[in-house]
Amino acid sequence: MKKSLSHPFLLLLILIAHAAMLLLVVFSFGLTPDAVELASAVLLFDFIGFIFLQFVHREACTVDSVLLLVLGMSTIYQSCFGGLTFAKKHFIFAVAAFVICQFTYLLVRNPYRAEKMKPLWYLMFIGLVGAIFFLTGSRGIWIDLGFITLQPSEFVKPVFVLICASSIRTQLHKHTLLGFHYVPDNLALLACTAVIAGLQWYCRDLGSLPTFVAAAGCGLMLRFRYLREKISLRLVIFLCLCVCGTAAAAWHLAPAYVQERLHSDIWADMSGSGYQQVKALTAIAEGGWFGKGAGSGTLIHVAASRTDIVFSAICEEWGLFTGLMTVILVLFLPASLLAVPPRSYYHSGLAVGVAAVFMVQMTLNVFGSCNLIPFTGVTIPFISQGGSSMLSSGILAGFLKAAQAPVLTGGNTAAETEGGR
Amino acid sequence: MAKQKTDSDYTPQLDVSAPRSMRVAGRVTSLLLAAFLIGLFYLAYVLVSHSPFYMSKSGATGYGTVYDRTGDVLFDGTKPLSSYPAGQFADVGNLIGDASGQMANTLVGRNLSRLANYNFLYGKEQGQVSLHTTLSHKANKAVYWKLGKKNGTVIACNWKTGELLCCVSKPCVDIAKGYDNIDALPENSLLCKAFYPTVPGSTQKVSTLAAAYEKLGVSAVNQMQFSCTGTWINAKGQAIKCHEAKGHGTQTLTQAFRNSCNPFFAQLVQSAKLPLSAVIETYTRMGYSVNGAKADSMSLDGITIAPASTTLTDAKDFDTQWGCLGQGTTLVSPYQLMLWECAIANGTGTAQKPYLISSRTDVDGKYSPVHSAGKTDGFFSAETAKAIQAVMTENARTQYSYSLGKYTCGVKSGTAQVEQNGKAYENSLLAGFCLDEKCPVAFCVVIEERVNGELTTAQLTKTLLDALSGINSQK
Amino acid sequence: MDLSKLLSNDPLLRAGLSAAAVIFVDLCALVILIAASRERRHSDRRWAHENRGFMLACGENLYPLGAAEIVIGRHPSADIRFRDGEISRFHAILTLSAGNWQIEDLSGNGVTVNGRRIDAPCILHRNDVIGIGRRKLTVIRGKKG
Repeated sequence: MKKSLSHPFLLLLILIAHAAMLLLVVFSFGLTPDAVELASAVLLFDFIGFIFLQFVHREACTVDSVLLLVLGMSTIYQSCFGGLTFAKKHFIFAVAAFVICQFTYLLVRNPYRAEKMKPLWYLMFIGLVGAIFFLTGSRGIWIDLGFITLQPSEFVKPVFVLICASSIRTQLHKHTLLGFHYVPDNLALLACTAVIAGLQWYCRDLGSLPTFVAAAGCGLMLRFRYLREKISLRLVIFLCLCVCGTAAAAWHLAPAYVQERLHSDIWADMSGSGYQQVKALTAIAEGGWFGKGAGSGTLIHVAASRTDIVFSAICEEWGLFTGLMTVILVLFLPASLLAVPPRSYYHSGLAVGVAAVFMVQMTLNVFGSCNLIPFTGVTIPFISQGGSSMLSSGILAGFLKAAQAPVLTGGNTAAETEGGR
Repeated sequence: MAKQKTDSDYTPQLDVSAPRSMRVAGRVTSLLLAAFLIGLFYLAYVLVSHSPFYMSKSGATGYGTVYDRTGDVLFDGTKPLSSYPAGQFADVGNLIGDASGQMANTLVGRNLSRLANYNFLYGKEQGQVSLHTTLSHKANKAVYWKLGKKNGTVIACNWKTGELLCCVSKPCVDIAKGYDNIDALPENSLLCKAFYPTVPGSTQKVSTLAAAYEKLGVSAVNQMQFSCTGTWINAKGQAIKCHEAKGHGTQTLTQAFRNSCNPFFAQLVQSAKLPLSAVIETYTRMGYSVNGAKADSMSLDGITIAPASTTLTDAKDFDTQWGCLGQGTTLVSPYQLMLWECAIANGTGTAQKPYLISSRTDVDGKYSPVHSAGKTDGFFSAETAKAIQAVMTENARTQYSYSLGKYTCGVKSGTAQVEQNGKAYENSLLAGFCLDEKCPVAFCVVIEERVNGELTTAQLTKTLLDALSGINSQK
Repeated sequence: MDLSKLLSNDPLLRAGLSAAAVIFVDLCALVILIAASRERRHSDRRWAHENRGFMLACGENLYPLGAAEIVIGRHPSADIRFRDGEISRFHAILTLSAGNWQIEDLSGNGVTVNGRRIDAPCILHRNDVIGIGRRKLTVIRGKKG
């Protein structure tokens, strides 16, 4: 374990990349107090992260270094939209996300412990769903705590991912009821998915439903894959038809406000329902490949420019090239699974769930704001502004980290003694 | 049984790779990743290729220049239009349009993204985009000023190539003056009437004749004779009046065509030899929407033109006969009348589709020609086209040789009785073609509210042909 | 500041600087990729420590325990697969928890450890012999020397 990766070199590079971006900001705005504040905050965060990774914790460096890079970039982006003001709140949440990622790692790095705590996850799930159902006023999705507003639906995501994952031991313990074999855990997952769908329907906020469905779908698929009974082609075709049928039915039976979204032509209603997307697309076109320059964007005057259409806001100021690069960088998090495979089925489930959540969120956000698919108000993990989203993304990143550096030792090491003879 | 090997036979292993079953997670993730990345590249492609559209739609970019066939400016988005001589755009405003969004169905209005002075790499207002059109501004101006105080529309194209050469619709907004006085502008200033259906009057007899030729054959129709006594009573006892109160007597087709005799053509429609279904079939092929049936609208570089329409229900009924004579519910746009003339002039029954944009220069200065739009569907057979051509040429030779001068033309006149806004008036139409090698032009001329003694459609046509004569060498 | 004026007036310079900043980000991404591929080896080594070097030996065959859950059975998706008739599709599962490997009988068709049939999860020690059907698997540490 002594022989580690080139952490110092990598972290130095991250520092340089941030410095280059900050230099660009300083070029455009001069050395204003805000610029100094921003630069010192980002660089200090890098440095402390560097110390932490170098001397305290050296596991799963891919996730941590990508996090450091992305969080710094996102702080710079958020500080520059439409003029330089240090996005203090965003930065604090970025740091919090990094910290919570480490704590989540500590919590779930042992897959057995994490799975044994599943009743707790179910409880948390019920608690969060109850909070959304009872606490949020008039079908809103925010809970106002006075000093901070929380979006409990964001925190449902990591809990749901914890529920989606399952170990093979759980899958092999089948119960029988009236001649049917079933796995209680799978039934519970289906029930949770149904509860989520019902809740979203009730809240008239179907935007993040695809995220949950994707996570649940991936969880179920993995469960089938574990015990690959002979899956016949006919079954596959049947399942595909079922999915297509459900999608078509949902498409046609969706409530009116969803139908409106599905069939709206933004160019026919440029000042009404299509306003955000028209502005977003125009901003990307105006930005071109290399952008108008930090702080010269105009998208800031459009609603949700820091959250739902943040991709366009980045593209306008920094260029499409940077925008795409940023999205791909966030993808590095789930992609790190390809390099370091998980070592247990529960962690596999977690990792795939996180990958599904991240990717579906980014798909909905990026493609939705660019009018390729219906526009929904979801966030890009780590890039969009918003404390709840940032923290829940941090938790999800912690799952990825756990999958890459599981810890199963600890406690007694009785096995050291020789058994047998 | 062999003795079990024990631990001491082995050395500690230094690295253990994950088993196959653990790679499932990676496989699922890579599938998701691949799908997302493909989507992302597609997105980038869409964004880059559609960006001029986004810019033009939201009005965030400047626009380039539109030129006529000789390089005269028809629209300029790079500098104020008021810097041009007064009247530069007076005759083309409602055809070429501008980027203000006031006139959607115009060349600029429909091609904003092609004219956007924008490039994804350079940003906006950096290049020199231009569209080159086939229009002859010289001819346009000549016709516009010749109309004088009269309103009307003139459209002409080269029937060999489909190049649109002239298109005037008066009254016309002057885009250089802006829209501050938009309420004071005369009615229909903002649209090009050549693209909108109007009452065709007797020019409709060309279509009816085509239907007869198609069904009965050329010689059979040419041998037909009907008599006209000024008023003809149809099978239902309704009267069809001729413009000649004394009547034309017994006439052949050529004579009746020349006389534009309503009773003759009404009898032709009613005659048992020509079933109404045959008329409807030919009309439908020619692009009419008959009895509300769906017909395709036409497009001229994005400008949409509504199809002709009519109602034909009973060959013995006045309304149907009246419709076949170009009155009643029949409506045809001058553009479509011109299109049929093209098919007659080239003797094939199929027209070259007209086009307006001949080439485009993009932001980088790269020139790219725009090829002609291809051919229309066949309106009628080549024999029919040639026979109509003969009848129309004969008509021009005997009736219009003085007013059209040296040109070898074929024409059909029409007088359309229009009732609009409680006001009844007559529009004078002339649709036809010129067969001269130097002037292969098909045209349709409309003068609104014309009364005797004023400018005739033939005089206006002469002006048009004079301006267009030798057009191929003007390029 | 003059520099900012210069920057706003010259789009080419702006693009160039912006491109330069992005290039550093790209460089970072590249190095992260390289680091990630090196991390796989690191993780393999790490796992060897995590699983305490345990392996199963059956005759001449060695079965490394590369994950925290190892299924033994006749099924194609089993990690350690025996095509014997008397072995169930999912016969037994080895799990690593709290630093100990345990074996559990999944099928009820019988698993023995050192000759004794187990009816509850059983912690494995070095040189234990697992009996599944007529197969005998020895718990060893390390690979053949």
